[in-house]
Amino acid sequence: MLCNTNLTSSVTEEKGLDQHLGTEGGVLSYRDALHWTMREALQRHDSVVIMGQGADDHKGIFGSTIGLAEEFGFDRVMDTPLAEEGMTGIAIGAALNGLYPIQTHIRADFSLLAMNQIINLAAKYKYMFGGRFDVPMLIRMIVGRSWGQGAQHSQSLQSLFAHIPGLKVVMPSSSQTILHTYPKIIADYRGPVISFEHRLMYDLNFHVEPVTPNYGDDPFGSYLVRQGDDVTIVATSIMVLEAMRAADHLAKVSGIQSEIIDLHCVSNPDWNLVMQSVEKTGRLIVADTSWKEYGVCAEVCRVVAERNPGCLKKPVVTLAMQPAPCPTAKSLEDLFYPDLRQFVHAIATLVLGSEEHGIQLPDTQSMADVYKRFKGPF
Amino acid sequence: MTSTNLFEELFFQALRIRLVEERIIELYPSDAIQSPVHLSIGQEAVAVGACHALTSNDLLFCTYRSHAFYLAKGGNLNEMFAELYGKVTGCASGKAGSMHLAAPEVGLMGASAVVASTIPHAVGAALAAKQLGKDQVIVGVFGDGATEEGVYHESLNFAALHKLPVIFLCENNELAVHSFRKARQNYEIVEHAQIYGLPVYQITEGYDFVKVSETMAEVIKQVRSGQGPVFVEIQTFRYKEHVGPGEDFACGYRNIQEAQCWKQQDPLNLYPALVESFRPSILQEIDAAVHFAERSSFPSIEELLRDVV
Repeated sequence: MLCNTNLTSSVTEEKGLDQHLGTEGGVLSYRDALHWTMREALQRHDSVVIMGQGADDHKGIFGSTIGLAEEFGFDRVMDTPLAEEGMTGIAIGAALNGLYPIQTHIRADFSLLAMNQIINLAAKYKYMFGGRFDVPMLIRMIVGRSWGQGAQHSQSLQSLFAHIPGLKVVMPSSSQTILHTYPKIIADYRGPVISFEHRLMYDLNFHVEPVTPNYGDDPFGSYLVRQGDDVTIVATSIMVLEAMRAADHLAKVSGIQSEIIDLHCVSNPDWNLVMQSVEKTGRLIVADTSWKEYGVCAEVCRVVAERNPGCLKKPVVTLAMQPAPCPTAKSLEDLFYPDLRQFVHAIATLVLGSEEHGIQLPDTQSMADVYKRFKGPF
Repeated sequence: MTSTNLFEELFFQALRIRLVEERIIELYPSDAIQSPVHLSIGQEAVAVGACHALTSNDLLFCTYRSHAFYLAKGGNLNEMFAELYGKVTGCASGKAGSMHLAAPEVGLMGASAVVASTIPHAVGAALAAKQLGKDQVIVGVFGDGATEEGVYHESLNFAALHKLPVIFLCENNELAVHSFRKARQNYEIVEHAQIYGLPVYQITEGYDFVKVSETMAEVIKQVRSGQGPVFVEIQTFRYKEHVGPGEDFACGYRNIQEAQCWKQQDPLNLYPALVESFRPSILQEIDAAVHFAERSSFPSIEELLRDVV
């Protein structure tokens, strides 16, 4: 699915996505997939407004909203004051009175200023009033990584939100998942959705299937992205790409076949898909973009432990950030995130039952080095 | 409508709210109402006056002290008592209790227990009204304590910046739980609101529902004509404790003389004959509502996970 070419993005408004992808599918960057879904939403639904700090400026949320204010009006693609709680409350009020707000946080870390509105209000507005209100809205949060993002520009806060009943939390791991989920969420779902987009993926090109992607109808599902019999890897966001790289390496050098599930909707994963795979392979690795403690890693373990712990042939292995705030220096940041070498070693050790597995490891390279197209600064 | 008729109409509504809450006080020791209640007694005239010139198409967002606004905006009394009783026939199927009353069919858009948190909702609803070309005025109701919260300032700024059809209505009872405003605020509320460019109105006689109603009618007209947001501060007086059915003058932090002074001007105390003429029909309605609540069922297990997402 990750397409390691240096093609520059080429979806244009004039050409259109259908034509770009043709009948064979084509290459589309994460950024262009976002831009296409934002533009399509504004075009298709008069109720959609995009509100975010800098949404209408020349950088347009890392390119995902660029030019849209000029095309659809500055009242529909709005710059906002630096007021995260207020703007989230304003989005809720707008949703209660007929608009569909799409709110952006250029870093997920800023959403912490809006926790009251997201958790106390948006998540509860339907239930607390006996189903008499809907709050349809999409909050896009961008997770930073590399180039010195540091402690407050790097947090991947999915578990905080997925913990709260009433919120749907998704983590698109490719252009395909964006194209598949955003239009359906915006058109059909009447509640608050939080999407964690990964900054490192904005510049990546993905192969995208043509018009009807074979991904089912549920924008809140999980996806089987690679089949294999030896081990199940449950991953989120950019860790899906890391898992694919590790799996490809192992298949090449050792014949180990990994099955990979992109959890995607971390608030409501397809647990049957996860359990079927774990019951088949008997081995489980969970790879998440955040910390292990009380997070996605812990939650996947809970469900396996509750449903069928006997299916595990070996203890579960988890790969995630080190238990510290994110450091800025590259030497430390490279140690903070699990790298490809650790990933491959973890899989080989689990499948072959020994750290002395003798399998050739890839050169140590951090993900930021591999995805060289992100050159900062932000 | 003549001013006498207006007076009587508003008097009736204010009295109805007071008698409803007095019934809640009577019922409270029975534990039939297992919900924290923040009574509006003493503050009824603000709600009655403010809602009089609104249409059911106009939206109002309020606070956990919202019995008065729920009734003044036209919320159903049976559903209110049923909600307080935790019954499935309540306005929120028994999931809201006293603090989260809503009646969207008449524009009462919800109430929050977290201070100031519905103020931006009023602003957002006004943004939608403006963008979608709805002929609506939106009212955000809050207390003096809410003006200390950051989100209040964020809301005023955005509303003024975008000239939205919203009225910020501050019910100033000078108290946040047990703390007096002067111990909390180093600013005057309306002076501060003016910094954002909002026209401000102040009413010190918050017991005078006719005055509140006339001022609000003018404000609503101004906002409806597209001139942008307006700020209204109404001085009022909380007769009861912050939460619960009792009084708390004996606790020593409040001055009972002030309360007496306020009560001496309260129309509901000044016109006993009018009270007596309205009381029977109101009590009849309340009896029926309590009866409705008592006879209704508690929500069953299928309600537990309904409407989560």
